[in-house]
Amino acid sequence: MPNTILQGVTPSRRALMLGAAGALAAPGLLRAQPAPIKLGILQPVTGALAQDGEYGRIGAELAIQELNATGGIKALGGAQIQMVFGDARSNPEGGTAEVERMQAEGVVAIVGGFASPICLAASQAASRYDLPYIVDVGVSDQIVSRGLRNTFRFSPGAASITRAALDNLVKLNDAAGKPAKTVVLVHEDGLFGTGAARTMQAELPPRGFEILETISHPSPARDMSNIALRIRSLNPDLIIPSSYYSEFVLLSRTLQQRRIRPKGIYAILNGAASNYRFVREFPDAANLVMDVNHWADPRKPKTAELRRMVEAQNRFWLFNVPMNYSAVMLVADALERAGRADRNAVIEALAKTDGSFTRHIMPYGPTNFVNGQNQGGQAVNTQIQNNDVKVIFPTEFADAQPIFPWPAG
Amino acid sequence: MKDRQLALILGFAAVAALVPFFVTAGTWLNFAVFTLILCLAAQGWNILGGYGGQYSFGHAAFFGTTAYLTAVLQSRYGINPYAAFAIGIAAAAAVGWVIGFLSFRSGLKGSYFALVTLAFAEVFRVVANASDITGGAAGTLIKLDVRPENFQFASRGTFFWVVLAMVVLAMLLTRALERSRLGAQMVAVRENEDAARALGVDALQVKLSAIALSAAITGAAGGLYAQYFLYLDATIAYGTWISVEALLAPIVGGAGTVFGPVVGSIVLHSLSEFTKSLVGRIPGIDLVIFGIMLILVVRFPPRNIPGLIRRWRSGR
Repeated sequence: MPNTILQGVTPSRRALMLGAAGALAAPGLLRAQPAPIKLGILQPVTGALAQDGEYGRIGAELAIQELNATGGIKALGGAQIQMVFGDARSNPEGGTAEVERMQAEGVVAIVGGFASPICLAASQAASRYDLPYIVDVGVSDQIVSRGLRNTFRFSPGAASITRAALDNLVKLNDAAGKPAKTVVLVHEDGLFGTGAARTMQAELPPRGFEILETISHPSPARDMSNIALRIRSLNPDLIIPSSYYSEFVLLSRTLQQRRIRPKGIYAILNGAASNYRFVREFPDAANLVMDVNHWADPRKPKTAELRRMVEAQNRFWLFNVPMNYSAVMLVADALERAGRADRNAVIEALAKTDGSFTRHIMPYGPTNFVNGQNQGGQAVNTQIQNNDVKVIFPTEFADAQPIFPWPAG
Repeated sequence: MKDRQLALILGFAAVAALVPFFVTAGTWLNFAVFTLILCLAAQGWNILGGYGGQYSFGHAAFFGTTAYLTAVLQSRYGINPYAAFAIGIAAAAAVGWVIGFLSFRSGLKGSYFALVTLAFAEVFRVVANASDITGGAAGTLIKLDVRPENFQFASRGTFFWVVLAMVVLAMLLTRALERSRLGAQMVAVRENEDAARALGVDALQVKLSAIALSAAITGAAGGLYAQYFLYLDATIAYGTWISVEALLAPIVGGAGTVFGPVVGSIVLHSLSEFTKSLVGRIPGIDLVIFGIMLILVVRFPPRNIPGLIRRWRSGR
């Protein structure tokens, strides 16, 4: 066991010394290349979550490319980062198996997981080896409440996202003169939909909204006609859906076909409502849909640059890309501060990350980890306007004004 | 012949028990543990499907019941994990008996029985997904607390031995069943239920015993899964994936034999691992190759792997 833990340390330490010796012996002429640092990237690229996993991988890849092109990890003599990719196969066993393989290959940390069940199982497997695990997306609050010292989440958890969603909804509604009073909740019956709906049921009435009905649907669902008809008869001011990509696309198209037009659609962590594929393929159905979700900071120049690179590959700009990009940058930042590719040193450095970490592109406050959760992490409100996804809240990150209630017609 | 079988079982146990001494890489031990857990689930299916001739498509109902009870009893009620595991196995047997009673008494056979079991498993999945006690859709987490008295071991090797012991126990149980009166009655019911009944076999009783035993063994696999991965949600516990895993291995390895499920699951999972290592870059291509190999294995030899060996031996 100690051998395997040391595996990650020895070469890079040696490399560091070699690098230093080389630099001393022949400055600028003969610099020994330090051994690369292996970084595990875990994403579900097959199975139900393949699309998200693929985009997560692209984000991590772009970050690693950028790091390597800009001189690697400087504190380690410019060591390059080598990606060890693992396919989590959209299930927890797949994630665990890949963590074991990455451990055998001697990675210094693991980034990714995407879905909460994968993150839960994989971070737990990594904790056996004191292997730092950085969750990219998984929002379940159980992830950071287990007391695992190796597990970090840079992005916000479900509770904080829901709180932001509720606060911003009230602000939005108040600013528009309180046009919305009645709500219909539509949610998928799995992990996140049910949880989100339950929180809404508890939190919306005290804030002055009346819930007319809560409608659940399975994932996958092939037909939304009944739900649309039910919504028409209830005639709510606001629809709050929590569904995955296909189901929400189906629902919004069905609503559009049947000319059901509430004052707004306010989605929470929706799979489609801030997804460019939806915007491109169904611009009319997507127009003016609001979402509370992960999103990159539109004001940072790097965001636009990264977006261009992704779109140059004929891909859409999804939040998985900036989130994984930022998580990899977080590891790089910790490596710079740790000064050695040692797992425990990296864990300590990660825990001490503060506002000086600015190489990420998320719209977050100063980084500050408490029990592995970044307190600066937050979700933002987006709205689809003119075939683009715009940030409308919080105001300090916004690049557009909200359009609410929807204009008639 | 029979002694050779016993020798084979013990030989398998002895060789497999040595694995953790030679294989220390977590990757391979993890693979071995997971394969053996699914092997145990398949052994359970084999009792009802292989010997009893009742093809269930819903063994997830039993897998999930023990898994959930093992997890929920210890995490919510502080019951000792071993006790929770035992209660879970008993509950799975009871669930099996009830499902059997409801469907066999109505005379459901063949594909109708398969569909009913599938439906039961789906009902369990939806209920587990919606109720509070299972943690709903957020799932149930067993607290990481690595102590042997907690059924959590620091070394994957120890867990491997625990699972191996269960698999060998199930093999011995299957062997004993094969030679027992009940086993003979099960085979008689499988081959011709009317004839068996005419000879005085209480077919309903025989099938109920078969399903309860079968459910208990598959349930044990579920409990081990929960204890190993420490996280459960409704799709893991009651999803169709485990029903398929449970029936695929015996069918490939030879249903209604002691070694069938063991051979089947080892071959299937090694094949899947092999194809995974074969192709690196294109995601999912290994699954395609695995699927094609599976079609070939099931389609071409006379029924299964033992059939292939027999054919090869007889020189045809």
